[in-house]
Amino acid sequence: MISNSIKALRQNKLKTMLIYASLSFSIIAVFLITAISTGIISMYSSMLKSDAHIIVTQAKISDTFFSNVDVKLVPQIEKIDGVKKVSAFIVGASPVESLPIVAIYGASSNKLETYKLSSGTFPKEKEVIVGEAIFSQLENKQKITIGQDKFKISGVFHSDVGFENGGVVMPLSSAGKLFNKSSSMLLIDIDLSKDIDFIIAQINAKSSDIEAKSTTSFIDNYNQFKILDYSSYAISSIAFLMGLLGIASIMSITVNERKDEFGIMKALGISSSKIIGSLALESTIIAVFSYITALLFSTFILFSIQYSKALQGYINGEITLSLALAVFITTILMALLGTIIPSYKASKIDPIVLIQRGQA
Amino acid sequence: MIHASNITHYYGDELALDNINLEINQGEFICLVGESGSGKSTLLSILSTLLKPSHGQLEICDMNSKKIANIDQFRRENIGFVFQFHYLIEYLTVLENIELATDKQNSEHSKTLLHYLEIENIQHKYPNEISGGQRQRAAIARALANQPKIIFADEPTGNLDSKNSQKVFELLKELSSQNITVVIATHDAKLAQMADKIYEVQDGTISIHN
Repeated sequence: MISNSIKALRQNKLKTMLIYASLSFSIIAVFLITAISTGIISMYSSMLKSDAHIIVTQAKISDTFFSNVDVKLVPQIEKIDGVKKVSAFIVGASPVESLPIVAIYGASSNKLETYKLSSGTFPKEKEVIVGEAIFSQLENKQKITIGQDKFKISGVFHSDVGFENGGVVMPLSSAGKLFNKSSSMLLIDIDLSKDIDFIIAQINAKSSDIEAKSTTSFIDNYNQFKILDYSSYAISSIAFLMGLLGIASIMSITVNERKDEFGIMKALGISSSKIIGSLALESTIIAVFSYITALLFSTFILFSIQYSKALQGYINGEITLSLALAVFITTILMALLGTIIPSYKASKIDPIVLIQRGQA
Repeated sequence: MIHASNITHYYGDELALDNINLEINQGEFICLVGESGSGKSTLLSILSTLLKPSHGQLEICDMNSKKIANIDQFRRENIGFVFQFHYLIEYLTVLENIELATDKQNSEHSKTLLHYLEIENIQHKYPNEISGGQRQRAAIARALANQPKIIFADEPTGNLDSKNSQKVFELLKELSSQNITVVIATHDAKLAQMADKIYEVQDGTISIHN
């Protein structure tokens, strides 16, 4: 049965290639759109998770870029029972040299110490350390201009998080002057044996201008992530749907064009289920090959864009196992649906009518 | 073997067959003759269960065609069909085409058929690699693969020269001598003379040809 299905696919080379290409591209679109958005969320999440169990931002603010939290709260929060460490962090962005946008971070001294320097020293006032990814792209390896200010590059660090590795880190005070704020957020490390909700409540009681959340809750509820998530689902669903409708319609046309073959087989006494089964097998073979091609191609693209200079290492896609499985199951189901529905309809028609229609 | 009563068939509003009654016995060699559009192919399709009639009843192998539970299985066990344009599956070899309707592969019966129809040497070739005569013999071999009780052939010589046409008819005649019922629709009155009975189909009606 498999060998006959492969022979049938080879007989209709052009159609087979069209279905294969169309299905492969739609799966690639889904993989890339979903993987990149997931990757962005995952990078930002891991950046925050690495340092904190609790995140404090300005209350009722939709984006950390606009958040302003007074660093004077730090000593008060440090006094709360169970709090081990409080770091202040500023998140900003600015053009640097010919690069249109570069992530700029301001970090309190205890946060600065967490960066793994590959060369140089930690920055003092008017100094910065830069990620390896951006350092390789700078023409001037000694000084960097951000806004109107010039900063000395005191060191280079490495981070597995693309946003950090392609970014610039400076002392909190320097970033505060640059972006005219105290801090974007406070990152709080706690003793996990203590009640996190009780600590959060105590932090929130310090000021009505702030909002403390567990890092997990912050990530789950962060509006930008939600927007990114929903957008990526919407776009990838549309891309996938278009691709799948294409498959279903091509498979349907293919089945219709092979009605005479269907009729001949029925005239020979081959059962409808066996005929539908062999057509479904053809679809499954194409779908599996398209999926494998798309998975390999998408992985290659995602790997390549990590090292693309133009993207500054900010785009870090990941194809999760659940995504890979979901796309695989949906692909096979839609390819089968596109085959089985017209085949089933054809099976209800008299064989001689199928033969005549196929020859028409 | 085949008993058709009051068979009437319409294509849309157009009457193709008008109240046909026909009795065919086991082992008979029957030809349905008539001009193109006379209704002979429609009648053959109905007799062979490939088309449901608009009205009337068909009994085949002692079964009412409407009451056959699994029509595909019934065809596979009882009927062989030879088409005008051979309709071999292009992506399968001659042998694979022959074995398409059977569950057995490389069976003794397939080998006997290939030998009997003198197509052993082309068994691994594809339909587009062999001649028209060979294709039609392969189609006959396919019709015989399931050892049918009845063979229906619709213009089996329509695309063959006179020499090959004669051979095909002789072959079908020989099959009827082995107690296989053979029903052929043809426009070739000369070849039809080899039949036990000739029915003339004209404007959807049937009459025995003397």
